[in-house]
Amino acid sequence: MKALVVAEYPRDALESLAAAEGMDRVLLLFGPAAGESSRIAGHAKTYSINSRDPEAVYNSLRRVYDDEKPDLVLGVVSKNVKDILSRIAGVYDLPMSTEVTEFKIEGGKVVYKRGILSERAYSVEEVDTPAIILVNPRIYKPLDESPGEPITLEPGASRVKSLGFERKQLSGVKLEEAEVVVGVGRGFKKKEDLKLAFELAELLGGQVGGSRPVAADFKWLPEDAWIGISGKRISPKLYIAIGISGAPQHMSAVLGSKVIVAVNKDKNAPIFKLSDYGVVADLYQFIPVLIKKIKERKGS
Amino acid sequence: MGDIIVLLKAALNPEMVRSKPDGSLDQDAIPLKLSDIDRNAVEEAAKLKGKLGGKIIGITVLTVGPLARREKDLRMAVQEALAKGVDEAIIVADDSITPGDQVQTANIIVEVIKKSGLKPDLILASEATIDETTGQIAGRVAAKLDMPYISFARSLDVVDGKVVAERDLEEDLEKVEAPLPVVVSVTQEINQPRPPTLIQIRRASRKPQKRLTAQDVKDALGVRRRILERRIISVKRKQEIIDGSSLEEIADKLLDILEREGVVKL
Repeated sequence: MKALVVAEYPRDALESLAAAEGMDRVLLLFGPAAGESSRIAGHAKTYSINSRDPEAVYNSLRRVYDDEKPDLVLGVVSKNVKDILSRIAGVYDLPMSTEVTEFKIEGGKVVYKRGILSERAYSVEEVDTPAIILVNPRIYKPLDESPGEPITLEPGASRVKSLGFERKQLSGVKLEEAEVVVGVGRGFKKKEDLKLAFELAELLGGQVGGSRPVAADFKWLPEDAWIGISGKRISPKLYIAIGISGAPQHMSAVLGSKVIVAVNKDKNAPIFKLSDYGVVADLYQFIPVLIKKIKERKGS
Repeated sequence: MGDIIVLLKAALNPEMVRSKPDGSLDQDAIPLKLSDIDRNAVEEAAKLKGKLGGKIIGITVLTVGPLARREKDLRMAVQEALAKGVDEAIIVADDSITPGDQVQTANIIVEVIKKSGLKPDLILASEATIDETTGQIAGRVAAKLDMPYISFARSLDVVDGKVVAERDLEEDLEKVEAPLPVVVSVTQEINQPRPPTLIQIRRASRKPQKRLTAQDVKDALGVRRRILERRIISVKRKQEIIDGSSLEEIADKLLDILEREGVVKL
């Protein structure tokens, strides 16, 4: 079984390599991962393309695909990887599956599982190889870095011209890696009040994220702190949802949490049915008390 | 400007998930609706048509059957797209093409475009549909037609015969430019779809709709994916409300529980 691993980010490369454990692995790195390729290339034969232009990478990747003839093209979900591999899927009529949570290979077939219908259901599906499988981030434990010499490939032709990148206003917080996440919603009346959530998160060694209104609409939080189907999906040990009503798009993204606590003053808020523990109280009264109690316990 | 094709899907409605007593998904009982972000694609097509002219052609391929049960939902989804600005619709629906997969759907779309002699300047699609969310049809179609492809566009314009777009990536926004014809997938942030007016709704029913069957696209048929099992996810939460005579007491109880659960260390 030969796997061609395609990655745009170094961590995704190391996770995908872990997902392809036991297979004959070939690696193709582009964009930011190409810049780090000499730290990863020790794991496998590695091609490196110094470009983030999906069409250019696609055109180079086609030649690699034709040479290597992999049974599986494997990666971690990212936007450019999806873009590039959907073109490979199209041009070779390969089955392609994304947001895969687990997969196994049996007798030339890939059987995989993925969430569907906004994570309200899952589907187990089977395809013959060759196939493309993109797994969700943070499922496989990344391998350690391994220095090596990559084979540098020229980017292929492209009709799309990049006019430049603009860095988003981001917090740099990796919510998907946090063990404790404090989620804030519309129960907060103004941006300044979020300091309650930040103080609570800090005391618990956690991070702060927000629902769509807070993170995407009001922009009280940077975009990478948006928890939701179109934002981040998280699976911390503890998720504390404060002033969040429990809309499906938000709750689908926190399903993986071990324990969910909800604080909301509306006792009929749907979130209480989707939580382990609920506190029916005004967050402006309850959170300061909770913070005080944590400080007392930490002090003793 | 030439024509704009918008790819449309009558998708399983995630808000109406139904299951059987054994926990398996009761897919036949889940209604279809026009996939959410397809509305943004239609809105964007209408905006560009207003500026540049041309005609908007919607193409949809039914991927879940049985047709008899899906007919009404499919008609409603197409009707909605027509009311929102699509000028004519091409619908491929046949029991022999369901359940579909992405290989077949992309092949059928390309076959329809070629056989109908369409020469679009722009093919618009949503970044992903609401039921399967695999976000790959636009890329497949672009590769098969050897057209440039701009994915995850959150702004789009046509200036001097070129498409200018802003791509929404994980940590960056990328501004790009491409010649026509081009395939573009759009995100939900690209616009706010307007509800159709009464006149638009009335006009929609008179707009042309072409129905195609498996026979019309027979060279494009063949699925690669076999669905083995679909089940609903039911995470049972404890749903325990913590009571107490004071907020202090509630906070103490909560912290005791969280320490016992091993999710906080104080």
